[in-house]
Amino acid sequence: MVDGGGEDELEFKWGIKGKLGGKKKDVQFYESFRYDGVDYKRYDSVYLYKEGEPEPYIGKIIKIWENADSKTKKVKVLWFFRPCEILNFLEGIETLENELFLAYGDGLGLANISPLEAISGKCNVVCIAKDSRNPQVSDEELQNAEFVFSRFFDVGKRNILDRIDDDKIADIEVKNIFNNLDSQKAVGVVKLDLDKNEGSGKVTTSNEVMGLLSQKNSQPVMGKANGKGLAALVRENVESRPPFGEKPISRNGVIEASKSGDKTMPQAKLKGNGISNASLVKKKSSTKLLDGSNDCGMTRITKTNDKHGNISGEKTPLSSKVDSEKGECKIVGKINKGSVEVKTGKEKSGENLKRDLQNRRLVSNAGDMNKISPPPSKFDSEKGGCKAGNLVRKINKGSIDEKREKQKCGDSNLQSRRLVSNDDAKKIATSSSKDEYKLQRAKDFCDGEDIPSKKLKLDHKPMNLSDDKLRKKSTDSLTLEQKLTQCAKEVTRRPDTDRSRWFKGFPWEERMKTAYEQGTLVLLKNLDPSLTSGELEDIIWNGFNESCTAKVVQRTAFSSPHSGQAFVIFKKRDAAELVAKKLDEGCFLMSNGRPLVGSIERPCFPEKKPIFYGHHVVDQHRTHMQREMKDAVSTSHCSQPNNIEYEMALEWCLLQERADKAWSRLFKQQEEELRKVKAKMKSK
Amino acid sequence: MGSTSEKYAAFKEKVRRTVYFDNLSPQVTESVLRTALEQFAIVKTVKFIPNYIGPSNLPQCALVELDSVKKAEEVILMIRQYPFMMSGMPRPVRARHAEEEMFDDRPIDPDRKIQCTWLDPSDPDFEVAMELKRLACKHAAEISFMHRLQLLEEEKLAQQQTETLKVHYKKFKMIEDITMDGTARRLAREYDMRITDE
Repeated sequence: MVDGGGEDELEFKWGIKGKLGGKKKDVQFYESFRYDGVDYKRYDSVYLYKEGEPEPYIGKIIKIWENADSKTKKVKVLWFFRPCEILNFLEGIETLENELFLAYGDGLGLANISPLEAISGKCNVVCIAKDSRNPQVSDEELQNAEFVFSRFFDVGKRNILDRIDDDKIADIEVKNIFNNLDSQKAVGVVKLDLDKNEGSGKVTTSNEVMGLLSQKNSQPVMGKANGKGLAALVRENVESRPPFGEKPISRNGVIEASKSGDKTMPQAKLKGNGISNASLVKKKSSTKLLDGSNDCGMTRITKTNDKHGNISGEKTPLSSKVDSEKGECKIVGKINKGSVEVKTGKEKSGENLKRDLQNRRLVSNAGDMNKISPPPSKFDSEKGGCKAGNLVRKINKGSIDEKREKQKCGDSNLQSRRLVSNDDAKKIATSSSKDEYKLQRAKDFCDGEDIPSKKLKLDHKPMNLSDDKLRKKSTDSLTLEQKLTQCAKEVTRRPDTDRSRWFKGFPWEERMKTAYEQGTLVLLKNLDPSLTSGELEDIIWNGFNESCTAKVVQRTAFSSPHSGQAFVIFKKRDAAELVAKKLDEGCFLMSNGRPLVGSIERPCFPEKKPIFYGHHVVDQHRTHMQREMKDAVSTSHCSQPNNIEYEMALEWCLLQERADKAWSRLFKQQEEELRKVKAKMKSK
Repeated sequence: MGSTSEKYAAFKEKVRRTVYFDNLSPQVTESVLRTALEQFAIVKTVKFIPNYIGPSNLPQCALVELDSVKKAEEVILMIRQYPFMMSGMPRPVRARHAEEEMFDDRPIDPDRKIQCTWLDPSDPDFEVAMELKRLACKHAAEISFMHRLQLLEEEKLAQQQTETLKVHYKKFKMIEDITMDGTARRLAREYDMRITDE
């Protein structure tokens, strides 16, 4: 492993402290740290670089500590094996391309202690084990994963295990190796400011996750609101909320008011737009609402973002000083599909919240909202200033997790102040942290989805929209759909382009055959011949809001140069039929004024023994000519002009020439016809 | 974007050194193509173009990527000049330059923007667009008719050539027979002619 030589140059900071250990109590354990701009915590999967190895090792951090005497930082890493590393023991077991095996058992290679500096980066590993202890991840999350693992490699017995029943691996609770923490981590990655919370942070990402976190591990990861969801919220606010005081308090986010009597400081935590989250995250605030809401509303949000960006800033300060006694949280939340979880021992606010706090996974479907409408109260923030009127929030599919801790509000105030300074969401987004922000958002998305989605059945597509571009596009499609207007939309990438990753490997022909049998295959005609399959998928997505797999029919010498064709496989028969019907009745115009034509047709599958004209087989070998022919079959060759073969070949050439002429005449004529009809078009 | 356009440029380069072959017999396989062409150039990849649209007995088509553009040119020229037989005779294969549209895995042109929209039925262009659709269907039908026609022609020529071959075969056979059974010599004596093999 690399020695920590680079340590001096690289940024390093300890995060949450853990217990002291070692014989002389000279070892300080930690739960998290920040290294070279990345926050790591226990149970994160990481790459470890070793000199001389072409590929970095992958492992899971299971312990982090510093030796007091030597000041050396160490991590204990539980290894993942790549299939190629344990090739000899696979014995024909099929592995996925990006599959890993987690070390298990006792023996060499289970885990190692390495210098912390050997860590070269985070690695997103998702557990896909069908184990009841392992929360399943969504497809999207799976796609984002760099690696997956579901099986274990017993380093002692040297064999592969499909599952393990032990509670511990390398003294680590098994739950820590499953997804929860991983997903949380994903969120955690992004938050840079974690360092601020010393020890206090307790974060719950989501209900399910909560349970798992022990005090120690809990990282200050909290907010995971999606930007979008929030944004949507914001919008709602605007609509429904009476104007308030100076600062709009509406955050998209969730506000939580927890307040409890003496011991807890009232803390409200909002989760603002993604951005604000990021910063919020750092808080150690006692209460935390998590809005895991992913919302489909992304697109909407986009629109609203700019306007409301500023809102987010304000709230935080408020939160810190919520006068809880009066219990006035004035959250009139509309939680669509929200799951609210309150984990406070005593919640006073609970009363206020008319929610079913006990249900952790309360899933309310859209439309039904839990309204929390305590009398509107005012939050006094220290800085005062802000009064929150009624907050009308709408949390789409959010899950709110309230957790109370005692913390210093002070901290959170700090943060919130910071937040305030970023008034403009937009600005923030563009700021240097943009990438991270984006990343986080994307991840949040997945995370959030992970939890609610099981119950909520979130719509898949919107979920995928995790990046700006995509977001844009979905806006487009939305509008398209809404109006079917004439104003042409630019086709942008459809969201789930990566989906194929898991399907790769099925030969297209097979898939087409199956699709044809199931009625999900549509033949599109009159395409611009230069369209690629990918572009076509985007077009379909834009025009029909259906995702599909398309494959253009490759041009040959006999294809029309004017129009291309493509086979498109839809997910469902209904979708295919709908598309064919829509195309039949309506006109879907593409670039150059080409209407798309589609129909459900039978593709031509290659025959077992196709007939081919023009090769003659003569079974006698005695004559000179025939001998020549026989030889010729085995060797490809150029024909010389001294035998009958040449003569015949020329006849074929002649025929070919004639055919070519005929084709080109036909194409010319077709072009002419097309031109004439197109000339009638007014707008183009 | 940089990498996309690079990829696209790389693809274009690949298209230039790829040769499109058609009129291939169904017996032609990748290895046949490779051995046939390795006389002239290094074959990098061979891909057959599946035929899902036309009549199923259309000859096979394939894309063969060679190591350089120059080689591709040479091969095309050569095959144009001399009828080139592959897996059978006498129908020669045909070689042409490949075109981008022949590749199914071509990357997206980074510079292109596509637009699309639904046309309102009240739009004055709606009828025109419908007509275009009909035209597209008609053209597709015409093309498939042409395919069938061409296949018929090919069949005709093939039959005709089979006949010719049979006749030739008969002729050769007859010559051989009379040579073998002494008839030729006898006749030569009769007419006082000299026949020698050389």
